[in-house]
Amino acid sequence: MTALLEIEDLRVTFNTRYGEVTALDSVSMHVNEGETLGVVGESGCGKSITALSTMGLIPMPPGRIAGGAIRLNGEDLTKVSDSRMRSLRGGDIAMIFQEPMTSLNPVFTVGDQIAEAIMLHQKVSRDQALKDAIALLDRVGIPSPDKRALDYPHQLSGGMRQRVMIAMAVSCRPKVLIADEPTTALDVTVQAQIFDLLNEIQRDYGSAIILITHDMGAISEMADRVAVMYAGRVIEDATADQVLDSPQHPYARGLISCIPALGKGAQQDRLAEIPGVVPPLHMLGAGCSFKERCSLTNARCGSEKPQLINHGAHPVACHAAEEGRA
Amino acid sequence: MNASYLMKRLGYGLLLMLGVVVLNFLLIRLAPGDPAVVIAGEMGGATEEMLESIREEYGLNKPVLTQLGIYVGNILQGNLGESFFFNQPVSKLIGERIFPTILLVLSALITAIVLGVFFGVLASRKPNGVLSAAVAVFSSIGYAVPVFWTGIMLIILFASVFPIFPVEGMMSVKLRDANIFIRSLDVLHHLVLPAFTLSVIYLAQYARLSRASMLEVLGSDYIRTARAKGASERTVLFKHALRNAALPILTVAGLQFGSLISGALLVETVFNWPGMGTLAFESILRRDYPTIMGVLLIASGIVVVANLLTDMSYRIADPRLRGES
Repeated sequence: MTALLEIEDLRVTFNTRYGEVTALDSVSMHVNEGETLGVVGESGCGKSITALSTMGLIPMPPGRIAGGAIRLNGEDLTKVSDSRMRSLRGGDIAMIFQEPMTSLNPVFTVGDQIAEAIMLHQKVSRDQALKDAIALLDRVGIPSPDKRALDYPHQLSGGMRQRVMIAMAVSCRPKVLIADEPTTALDVTVQAQIFDLLNEIQRDYGSAIILITHDMGAISEMADRVAVMYAGRVIEDATADQVLDSPQHPYARGLISCIPALGKGAQQDRLAEIPGVVPPLHMLGAGCSFKERCSLTNARCGSEKPQLINHGAHPVACHAAEEGRA
Repeated sequence: MNASYLMKRLGYGLLLMLGVVVLNFLLIRLAPGDPAVVIAGEMGGATEEMLESIREEYGLNKPVLTQLGIYVGNILQGNLGESFFFNQPVSKLIGERIFPTILLVLSALITAIVLGVFFGVLASRKPNGVLSAAVAVFSSIGYAVPVFWTGIMLIILFASVFPIFPVEGMMSVKLRDANIFIRSLDVLHHLVLPAFTLSVIYLAQYARLSRASMLEVLGSDYIRTARAKGASERTVLFKHALRNAALPILTVAGLQFGSLISGALLVETVFNWPGMGTLAFESILRRDYPTIMGVLLIASGIVVVANLLTDMSYRIADPRLRGES
């Protein structure tokens, strides 16, 4: 069975003052119908660039898709025309952004903004689109939707705005819904509500969801499979349970051990951390990009870039895992 | 928009106008010499009876506060005094001249905003492109060149090299008996050069301002959202971005209305446009104080009204400002 969305060996570069920098280095991942793929990693690891590439929203220049393919139902999105991409964007693939406070246009009512998304992809009248927008607001759990549709974004709370963003994104029943840290800016109680909503939407519409996050809790709650990213590469690709229970890559293991434990005795231990920071992309040398922060390095890690290969349980890009040292 | 806010703004406007009236009044009292002589102007031939009638009308023999009261009372009745040079009531003089000035100022303003914003938006699409550079150069030139110089250069160009636009006045004498449609076209034909001259500075500024404003807005998250919906580039630019980028442009346009009026004074003089600018110019040369005072008062009134309208439109354009006071 071919995947609904398949990213294969995607390479994205940016022109910067340090020269051409590789933001994504042969990234591969896929998501099937009705499935949720979690993409995790620290800030700057390429999660959002992967999402924006899929949406065709990488600013070019300075960005450039230097290789690979993004296939939606077999159609390579890196090669389609601008107008074809526009009709897919917001239609078959939609995206929810991280910042609900600033992602809505302040000078239009939320009803108008949802109706616009509907009218861009469906041949309906403005009145019908506004009616649909109100129904969608109702669907995403906004009380008295017919009144709220006439509100401007500044009149709504952050959680409400993210619900509006979700209503807008799902207005055309997308096949793939990309959620880029949809709850980062929200209160914890609201986070849970938003995740519940995404689950419901997936059940109703059968959309595949790509959930980008650095919150391992969200992964355990939402994701079927997980791609762990580090410095522009996918370094581990497995089911959510596999990653959470037996991570192979030292970085993935670090991420899991960073999840704070609650309950008795939890306070006595210092919270685990991964030493160091993600190296700047223009300073990546030969070998494994995690070598400076890893406790399992040997000479091979400094010279040879590990490939994403299945050494046992699931694919992982680590020499130590391959050699059984992990 | 709530009514109490509107009333508050109107109240401020009226207070401001009162301030202008008092300053106007002091202007005459502070001028050296006998105010009656000042009001009559340097005509040399002001007879004693004439001076006496002026003293009578303005109450110059009475205490200063009473004089102010008389002056304000006269203005409230629409009596701006009598011009001794033009030998006409000032209100009638201004009444004849106000329409050409408003026509000139509004056409210059609209030209400047429409063309300036258009070029600014186009330039913002490619911040390092040729058009962006052209906008930068053109706006520096437009900003640096004095308006009377632009006017004179345009007169030279269109009087001798390409004589396609009239360079003087507002109507052709030979079309005086034509129908209203022909005469309107004639006025528009005369309007082209003065309006363009007056708009050059502002056009340059608006182009630059809207380019900067657009660049800022185009980097916002909601522009990315609009693109993510599948909106076309034109919709993104002219609907989503421009509506937001227009807010600072609107503010500046309102603030600059006063300087636009004073610019109109120069342009009217250069092109002999029969508006309030030429009237002010002539009355200043003749030291025709009642006329100067009248022009000052009406010009301030226009600026106050323009600022009020800007404020209102700002609240219409930006929903976040509604409901505040």
